[in-house]
Amino acid sequence: MPPPERWAPWAALAARLVLGSVFVVAGALKLPDPAGSVRAVRAYQLLPEAVVPAVGYGLPVLEVAVGLMLVLGVAVRLSAVVSAVLLVIFLAGVVSAWARGLTIDCGCFGGGGTVAAGQTRYGSEVARDVGLLVLALGLARWPDSALALSPHTRPTEEDHAYAEHT
Amino acid sequence: MPTQNTRDRRAGAARRATAAREAAQRAQRRRRMQTVAVVAALVLLVAGGIAVQAARSTSDGPKGVPAGAVDETGFAVGAADAPVTVELYEDFLCPACGRFEQEAGNELHHMAAEGTVRVVYRPMAFLDGYSTTRYSTRALNAVACAADEDRFAEMHDQLFLAQPPEGGPGLSDDRLISLGAKAGAGGDAFEQCVRDLRYERWTEQATDAASKAGVVATPTVLVDGERLPEPSLEALRAAIESAGG
Repeated sequence: MPPPERWAPWAALAARLVLGSVFVVAGALKLPDPAGSVRAVRAYQLLPEAVVPAVGYGLPVLEVAVGLMLVLGVAVRLSAVVSAVLLVIFLAGVVSAWARGLTIDCGCFGGGGTVAAGQTRYGSEVARDVGLLVLALGLARWPDSALALSPHTRPTEEDHAYAEHT
Repeated sequence: MPTQNTRDRRAGAARRATAAREAAQRAQRRRRMQTVAVVAALVLLVAGGIAVQAARSTSDGPKGVPAGAVDETGFAVGAADAPVTVELYEDFLCPACGRFEQEAGNELHHMAAEGTVRVVYRPMAFLDGYSTTRYSTRALNAVACAADEDRFAEMHDQLFLAQPPEGGPGLSDDRLISLGAKAGAGGDAFEQCVRDLRYERWTEQATDAASKAGVVATPTVLVDGERLPEPSLEALRAAIESAGG
């Protein structure tokens, strides 16, 4: 890999802050209404009823945790990969709801997954998730960023120095 | 034949290479352990979060079902043997429900009185986030309180006549109580029931039942179990007619 450009860690920081704050906000808005969050998951009509409550209760917690890790810069590559996986799942859900003609809101930022007929916004929901997914994949590939708290998740300068001797 | 000097140099390089390899392996192991630790922490956190959120998802008020409820969460108006059944899922804060009631409410009452249809109202409260005072839940509780006085339909109509806009504080408890009086459900018991959110747990049960029935928007109108794609008076009349009403 060529040595990173000087601006690269700052671009990665910007990606972390955008992606992370979206996840924190999305999760935090759902936390106050666990029952609504369960209804939003159920509205997709994709998961068996046995797992719907656990997903509805657990997902906002995971979103806030991953978002905070990204904002603070803890295990950046891992959190970028987890957020990419989540975004792929969200995209699949929204696209499938769209394809099946369901009248639901994605419930992405709370709101219980419900919407008045004719007020679905699948197009913009998909566009937003694709944009975020690009950020997440970019971070997973180039996780080195400025102002990160955590240990590096890819080989450090030291490792490279050792590696060059061998 | 290599000189002693060259041999020493080679041995030194080999030692350094081995040390470097070991250090790189140690670093890799360290990174792997960190990843495992972070993943484990996340799993524990989410598991804990599920438990906490599950505990928070039901209120700890008294259990109980309002008087006269059918299937615990519905209120029937009209003869039980009417040829057509109309089910109506509504939230008292939902503007589209307000418009539907304005348009079709009287006609439904009329058809129920004539014996053409049996209307099963299935009120729910899923718009608490759209008022500053959880108006959906408070209004649904108030209609349950009125049902205890056998005034469900009257209170239901009063609530839609006085429907507040989304995004504000909704109607105060005092206002709900005075609407109850208009509906014929006055008295201390009704007042206490409204103020104490006596049926809060039941409102959660009703909303959950609607969600499990696949209701994701209000109004949802079913005519003999068939959902109207676009609820309107016209669509309702057509569906009732073709259902034999």
